[in-house]
Amino acid sequence: MTLSRRQFLHSASAALIGLSAKSDRLITGSFVNDSFQLGHQLRDHARFPAPKQVVKIPVLIVGGGMAGLGAAWRFEKKGFTDFIVLEMNERAGGNSRWGENEITAYPWAAHYVPVPGPKAVYVRELFEDLNVLKNGEWEERYLCFAPQERLFLYGRWQEGIEPAIGLNQKDRDQFQHLEDEIHKFRSSGKFTVPMELGLSENTAALDQISFAEWLRDQGLDSKILNWYMNYCCRDDYGATTDQTSAWAGIQYFASREPEEKGPLTWPEGNGWIVRRLLERVGRFVHTGEMVHRISQQKNRISVFAGPTEYQAEFVIFAAPSFLAPYLIEGMPRLEDFEYSPWLTANLTLERLPASYGGDPTWDNVFMESPTLGYVDATHQSLRTHVDRTVWTFYWALAEGTPAQNRQLLLDRDWTYWKEAILHDLGRVHRDIGQCVSRIDVMRMGHAMARPKVGAIFSAERRRLARQRGQILFANSDLSGFSIFEEAQYRGVTAAETVLRALSGLRSVHENRA
Amino acid sequence: MGILLFITVLLIAACGLIYELIAGTLASYLLGDSVLQFSTIIGCYLFAMGIGSALSRYLERGLAYRFVWIELLLGVIGGLSSALLFLAFAYTQGFQLLMYALVIVIGVLVGLEIPLLMRMVRGRYHFRDVVAHVLTFDYLGALGASLIFPILLVPYLGLVRSAMLFGIINVAVALWSTFLFAHQLVKARALRAICFVVLCGLAIGMAQAKHITTAAEDNIYADEIIFARDTRYQHIVLTRFKDDIRLFLNSHLQFSSRDEYRYHEALIHPGLSAIPAPRRVLVLGGGDGLAVREILKYPQVESITLVDLDPEMTRLFSTHPMLTALNQKSFLSPKVHIINADAFPWVDSNPDSFDFIVVDFPDPTNYSLGKLYTTAFYKAAARHLSVQGLMVVQSTSPMFARDSFWCIAQTIQQAGLRIYPYHVYVPSFGEWGFVLAGGHEYQFPASVPSGLRFIDVRGLQNLFQFPPDMAPLSMPANHLNNQVLVRLYDQDWKDISH
Repeated sequence: MTLSRRQFLHSASAALIGLSAKSDRLITGSFVNDSFQLGHQLRDHARFPAPKQVVKIPVLIVGGGMAGLGAAWRFEKKGFTDFIVLEMNERAGGNSRWGENEITAYPWAAHYVPVPGPKAVYVRELFEDLNVLKNGEWEERYLCFAPQERLFLYGRWQEGIEPAIGLNQKDRDQFQHLEDEIHKFRSSGKFTVPMELGLSENTAALDQISFAEWLRDQGLDSKILNWYMNYCCRDDYGATTDQTSAWAGIQYFASREPEEKGPLTWPEGNGWIVRRLLERVGRFVHTGEMVHRISQQKNRISVFAGPTEYQAEFVIFAAPSFLAPYLIEGMPRLEDFEYSPWLTANLTLERLPASYGGDPTWDNVFMESPTLGYVDATHQSLRTHVDRTVWTFYWALAEGTPAQNRQLLLDRDWTYWKEAILHDLGRVHRDIGQCVSRIDVMRMGHAMARPKVGAIFSAERRRLARQRGQILFANSDLSGFSIFEEAQYRGVTAAETVLRALSGLRSVHENRA
Repeated sequence: MGILLFITVLLIAACGLIYELIAGTLASYLLGDSVLQFSTIIGCYLFAMGIGSALSRYLERGLAYRFVWIELLLGVIGGLSSALLFLAFAYTQGFQLLMYALVIVIGVLVGLEIPLLMRMVRGRYHFRDVVAHVLTFDYLGALGASLIFPILLVPYLGLVRSAMLFGIINVAVALWSTFLFAHQLVKARALRAICFVVLCGLAIGMAQAKHITTAAEDNIYADEIIFARDTRYQHIVLTRFKDDIRLFLNSHLQFSSRDEYRYHEALIHPGLSAIPAPRRVLVLGGGDGLAVREILKYPQVESITLVDLDPEMTRLFSTHPMLTALNQKSFLSPKVHIINADAFPWVDSNPDSFDFIVVDFPDPTNYSLGKLYTTAFYKAAARHLSVQGLMVVQSTSPMFARDSFWCIAQTIQQAGLRIYPYHVYVPSFGEWGFVLAGGHEYQFPASVPSGLRFIDVRGLQNLFQFPPDMAPLSMPANHLNNQVLVRLYDQDWKDISH
């Protein structure tokens, strides 16, 4: 066979191109922290061993996330130590879990706390305990360093995530109109953090429509404004504006003062708070102990975990509430609770991409992307010279139904997600493939509560949130959405309720004696 | 005979490698980018050795005679290679051409050596033993050379004399080969005479090497850039014009040797002279050793800790003769402890206290450097001040970057220190500002070290007076989360250049 001249030229130039294009690095990594296997055991009513020992403990906290640790912090601070925290995973932290490699610590999920307003008294108290707030001043090194956020749109970066370039007069007018409306809601005092303190029947109608509908009703049809609203809902709720209650969409903006100081953040995100809390209450936390049955007896609660039956007077159920019907005997299925599936990834970068553009920034968002962008874990480093770093990549699987997306998370292998992440980052950072050496991926089927239409004023939610009886619910999903402040608030109030009840019981005993 | 033969192998292997290392080092010194230089030189050299080995098959008779000549040629070419390259860089445009030509010629000659030698001794040993022994000693020689080159040769002999020393060894090998292989040689005596003459020539060359390097250096460093290197952290450039040496870091001027005494005397003496008995001093930044030179004028100071990010910078100012002349070998003082670390984390984790802290960082041109000008940083630094301690901060120009200067002053004040801003005129910089700070009232010193060229006790108070065009402005403090200073600085210099 003879090679035609054209064929020869073709193959030769292909070989040259192959030689000249820089080949990508070998990228290692895997799925990490998978916990759905444990969850599916509960769902599928797997058989669990009969208890071999009985432990009597006045108070048992189920779940070592921020709500459970918040309750533990409260108990310890009040001098009450007769309690145990049971955490299903090998490490406590829940949505504030973190990881660490030779470069830096990095978050696996929640990575910042907005500077808490005056109503978030428990958060402020915690931060005073942790020396984050000292004499009314926020510790500078825990506030997010400048530059904080940027958005990639129209082929360039702008400072801040709210679109500020390429707006026409209509867009500007609509942003202004929205701001005026939000200002009214904010001054009404009915949108607060924690949400329970401001919640008012006057705003119930807002919970009956989606945020997208509310925006339409307001005549806010600017495409770029709607992109931003959608981004905010995906970021805080893992849902699009048409999946989000208008009440929750407004809460996002109206519950906080426009704050210049920027959020509080740490290399490991909210994992820093978990670490500090574990220094105080770690001795009460039993990790790797999955509760598989909770049974209400006459005057005590039996909680079965592994080979142990815990007999408690009070249980603070701080795990996600959707698990409760699988655990608590006789509890009906929950109807009003829905959860958004998420995917996060931590990427080890051997160097910044040549296409990085601008100054190293904490939070980086692309407008043309279904993902939420990435956060730089070394941004809070005090070093002046950083060459290797870790980016935490956030992807709320908002489009479509949660069930479909959960199935997608289970079906696709690591390579699929690796390619998807590199493809997304590659829109802006063309040479990303030459910079990344490792991508670890964490899949969360029920990452955060989704405040769908009707979720906030749901009778079911409000009944569970009431914290009465011997089983007190405390997960942040009782607020309709999952944020640090709500989790901590619910944990602390549950602890307070238990302490009051216990001292009431004691005084009854003493009176009898 | 056997052992002598293998020592010959060991020596010629060492010589070959040394010439290659010298070419690589010289190219890295003069051209920069050591990875490129070493890679290409090693590549060319090994390739040329292959050519030499291939060519060896065409040499059929008179192997010993040819071997002696190869050693002679190697001795001359290799021995003079370094001097030739230096002179070529100084006086011609053809440095790289000559360098690769030399590398290839030396490589070809070295490539011929071993095959010839193996054939010459073929009859005496089993082929198996020849290969094993010759290669063993070949590699041993290479190991020895690669160890003594950085440890002994470069620091003690320098590149020109190292090359000549190994040239001499090559010729010595030629000379003793005439004895070793006398029975295979016809004109042994004539060869010996040639060897002897070349040996003398190289020895004289070695004695005169100093003149060669000086002549070359004078020409290389006549003007322009005398040193340029990209380190892991920054781009270092040194220039010289007549007697003026200038250092640029990332193209920002750090000092001019003509007037740096003004800057460094003003940086150190107003503060350090005001401290009753200063014993321990901390310098943050200042990798040029010039601030340390001023601090060493206080005999009561017992220890100086210098924290600078870039080891190449402190190494350069510890070793380069032109620069150690400038800082009076301050880094070689036993009182000085150099720590190559990032300043903020170091300050955060170190527990020591100091009587005087010198903060001499590059201007806040970006957010990374801006971290070193924040309330958080000054608070962390102030924790290291002893009771009587003072801190001085280089604070950019109150004239050209007036907003920035007063922003830095405000930042230090908000970190809880009393501030005493002052300024001096440095011709190459213009008006330059410093902020002296401490936990107590500042008292003007009663005396300063003798022999200063700029600071004296009588004029000192005037430095603390600001004329109206540099007078204080009300500025916000610079915090990690706002970094207003970086924006102010950027704006200040934009305003100047428009």
